[in-house]
This record gives sequence, C-alpha cells and structure tokens, in this order.
Amino acid sequence: MNYEVVCGLETHIELSTKTKIFCSCTTEFGGKPNTHCCPVCIGLPGTLPKLNKAVVEYAVMAGLATHCEINPDAKMDRKNYVYPDLPKAYQISQYDQPLCRHGYVELSNGRKIRLTRIHMEEDAGKLVHERGNTFIDYNRSGVPLIEIVSEPDIRSIDEAIEYVEKLQMIMRYIGISDCRMQEGSLRCDVNISVRPQGSTELGIRTEIKNMNSFSHMTKAMQYEIDRQIDLIESGEKVVQETRRYNEGTGCTEGMRGKEDADDYRYFREPDLVAVRVTDDMVKKTKAKMPEDPQKRLHRFVNDYGLTEGDAQMLIEHRRIADYFEKAANGVKNTRTVVNCITGPIFARIKDESEKDSFNINIPPENLSALVRLFDEGKIRKNQLKSTLEKMLDSGKPASAFLSEKDLAGISAEDLKKLCAQAIHANPNAAKDYLGGKQKAVKALVGAVMKATRGRANPQEAEKILISLIGQ
Amino acid sequence: MVTHEEILKIANLAKLSVAPEELDSLTEDMNKIIGFADTINAASSDKSTDFDNINGLSNVLREDSAEPSYSRDDILKNAEDSEDGYFVVRRRR
Repeated sequence: MNYEVVCGLETHIELSTKTKIFCSCTTEFGGKPNTHCCPVCIGLPGTLPKLNKAVVEYAVMAGLATHCEINPDAKMDRKNYVYPDLPKAYQISQYDQPLCRHGYVELSNGRKIRLTRIHMEEDAGKLVHERGNTFIDYNRSGVPLIEIVSEPDIRSIDEAIEYVEKLQMIMRYIGISDCRMQEGSLRCDVNISVRPQGSTELGIRTEIKNMNSFSHMTKAMQYEIDRQIDLIESGEKVVQETRRYNEGTGCTEGMRGKEDADDYRYFREPDLVAVRVTDDMVKKTKAKMPEDPQKRLHRFVNDYGLTEGDAQMLIEHRRIADYFEKAANGVKNTRTVVNCITGPIFARIKDESEKDSFNINIPPENLSALVRLFDEGKIRKNQLKSTLEKMLDSGKPASAFLSEKDLAGISAEDLKKLCAQAIHANPNAAKDYLGGKQKAVKALVGAVMKATRGRANPQEAEKILISLIGQ
Repeated sequence: MVTHEEILKIANLAKLSVAPEELDSLTEDMNKIIGFADTINAASSDKSTDFDNINGLSNVLREDSAEPSYSRDDILKNAEDSEDGYFVVRRRR
C-alpha cells in the first residue's frame, strides 16, 4: 500500500533583540555561564517582568511577513512546568490569545502551508548534563522567542525542509532573527503521521522534539515514517507520544506518552498587562519592513532583466539584494553585475552566515563603476574579472589597477597594424587559412590578443585578419 | 467535587508528597477553595466587568536597550550549589 505523510511543524525562532524579553540583560550569544543574568531572568521571588517593546514589534513583523492577522487583543499567559532550566517553574508564553493567527508560507510548488499561530514566549536556560549532575547556565533564560505553529499541511520531507528554509529566509530578510540552527536560534518540533494514500482521515501522530539541523530532521522524519508504516503493516497501532531523535543511532525513541502528557495549567500572566496592537502600530511596523522578497524577485526579473534563477540567488539574503540594486544602478549589463557577485565575490564567502552579513570590502558604487567601463567597451571581460579580483584583494577601486592606456582601448589603425604584424610573424598560419583551414585564423587572433595584453576586441581582430589575408 | 486522585495528581505536579492520612482533609480544603471560586463566578456573570484584566491597562512596554547584568558572584550567591560558574543540581544518591 502507498502511504501519505501528514506533517505539521512547531518552529521556535530566537529574536535578535538587544535585550531579553522581560529584563534588560543582553541576549548576546556565547558569554561565560550566568554572566547575562539578573534577578528577573533567574526567577527570584518578588521580581516583576516588563515586556520588551521590540519583541512585540518583531513578532508583528513576523506575522505580517507570513500573511497573518494581527490580534488586536493579545495577552501573556503562564505555562507551568517544573524543570531546572526554568527557574520560575513557569514559562511566560501565550495560550488562547496569540499575537498572530491564520497566516501561510508558500512553497515553490505553489502549495500554501497554513500557519495556525505565532506567539511570543521566553526561552529557558541551558542544561549541561555531566557526571550524573546537571549544570545550569541561565544566560539564555528570558531570551525572546516566537513559536510558529503550522497546520498539518506538509506532505513530504522535502516540503518540511523547504518550509523551514522559507521561514529562515523570511525571518532573516525582515531582520528579526539570524535563524542559525547550529546555534539553536531556530529549532523545530515535528508532528508527523502517515495514512493510506487517498484517505482523508488523519493517522495517529507522534511528535519529534528539538530538531536542530536539516540533516537530523530529514533522517528523523524518514525513520519515523518507516517506523509508523511498519507498525501499521504489521497490524499494530502507532501510539501518540513525544519522541526524541538519537543522533548516534539515527533512530527516534519514545520520551513520554499521551497519558502523562504535560498538564501546563495555563492561566493569564497576572504580572503583565494586555498587549493591544492597534492599527496604527501595525501601519508603522509595516512602513519599517523591507520589500517582500517574493515581490522583489519579480521586480528583479522585470526591471533588471534577470533570470528567475539569478534573481533567486540575490534575494535570498537581503544585504546581497540591496548590494545588487546599488551596484546595478546606471549599468547596462545588469547580468554582468550578477555574475560578478555570484562568481568572484561569492567565491570569497565561506558560508551562509557570511552571505547573510555580506561584508564585502568593495562598496557597490565601485563595482558599478567597473561594470560601466565594460558597458562602454573600455575593458574586456577578462580584464573585468582580473580587475575585480585585484579590487577584492585590496579593497581599492578599479582606477587603482587600470591605467589610462588600459582604458584608452586600441584604435582601429593600431589594431590593423598589429594584425599585419601577426600575419607577417606567422606566415604559415595565413597559408593554412588560405588552404581551407578556418581554424588557423584563431592562432593569429591569439597573437594579436597577446600583443595587446587582452585589450583588443577578438571579433574585431578576426575580421581584420581575414580581410588582410584575403588581399 | 474534587477526588482523592485529583489531589494526588495536583500534588504530583507541584512536586509535593501527600501522606494517605492527609488526603481526606486536603480534599475537603480543596473543595472549599473551589467552592469559593463559585462565588467569584457568580459575581463575574455580569459581562460588563472584565475580571480578566481588572486594571484595564495595556501596552506597558520597555525600550530595548541593554543594562549591565549582575555579577556572576551575586547571581550565584543564593544558589544551593554551584561549580565553575554554573548552578548545579546534584544527582540524588
């Protein structure tokens, strides 16, 4: 029998605000343990939380970027559970009145993955288990998170991965999170079930907690799909439970079942007042947001004549797209600007996070000036490339490497002289050409290019050579 | 009416141990507390009063600017146990 996968994701994203959600401690990653803490975020009795304005704003941005409705009457709630990573023994989160509802993320196959909700909450501390003891660092305690909950609309592992990649792209684009899975600033819980192809009923699902890389997510989902199908085929039942992925074995393991599912005893957080996002606040936030990446993609295709593939490469990272627009300003060969960025410039970038920050030592105006020289026919493609490399090595503008002589080009008269010299120096090549060997002329073009250090126009030189040989 | 099982479940969630002889009196107390909630429910049946947000305030927000955190020594001062700058929960033997 064929089975269909039904999957919904809960994605936690750490917001890149300067300070924590309820106190003024820094959210910086990687400090010494317990050095970014105060009585509020270590949960001392008598302390009171105060909601960070930027958290509300960032969460509204996340909602707007994913087509959500913004709830005008949101509030914070207490979610009670006892575990050492949570010093207050409750997490301040949102329960029945989340900030954003009913959005969607569109995949490349045109399917819309609906979002149930996006809510704000605080992160917990970090536990290190060693020698049977537990060591606790509360630097992360109180770091703001948004949790994005999707409907069970995802139908394959590929769709799940693309959905997370899209979220990552959108959130980075609007600048509210760096979404680094390896640093834990984006983590997923995967709810997954299988059902016979064509069935409309939902199967019994399991939840795989805390996926922190795409490769683990792929493996865990594949394992879980196979496991559930095996159970069904052998006449057994899938048990609704929470599971964890074991990186060592590549398997998922049961953590807790439905009967001991947590009872969080949610209630309104009495220490915080209502969050009422007005139309005016939404309007102001909208004005601060960058252009929607999808719209920008279409604009790049229409206004700059780029292919969709090229445009996609640029818009994935906002700073790169911004750089391109500045560099392409006043340039005719916009595709050459793309090739400079995706070729020599990308070659010097190590990873995705460097693409995201895109600290390139040549300002876009300098790239623009270089490509305009190419537009005007003053330099040739190979000179463009070698000059760009020199610019990247040194951070200096093109003028530092191209002399006036370089830019003057070769006059028609000089070119004719050089062609005659080339024929004179290689009498055999001319003879071969006359004897019917068309390719022989290429050797002569090569000689001319060498003599001009690549500054001549090879098509032009070939034309002159052929006419000279014919005389 | 609250049952013994419910009392045990609540005690378990609150990490409290309850002796069998305490069960009856705790159940009785809990029923009185729940009964008091009925009084509140009766009062709030008047929809004009928003008991959920009694002070009527909203959007009390803080600017996102960092202030120095506490020194680690101060943070760990009240910890029952600490090591290398961490709070420690020892394995129970």
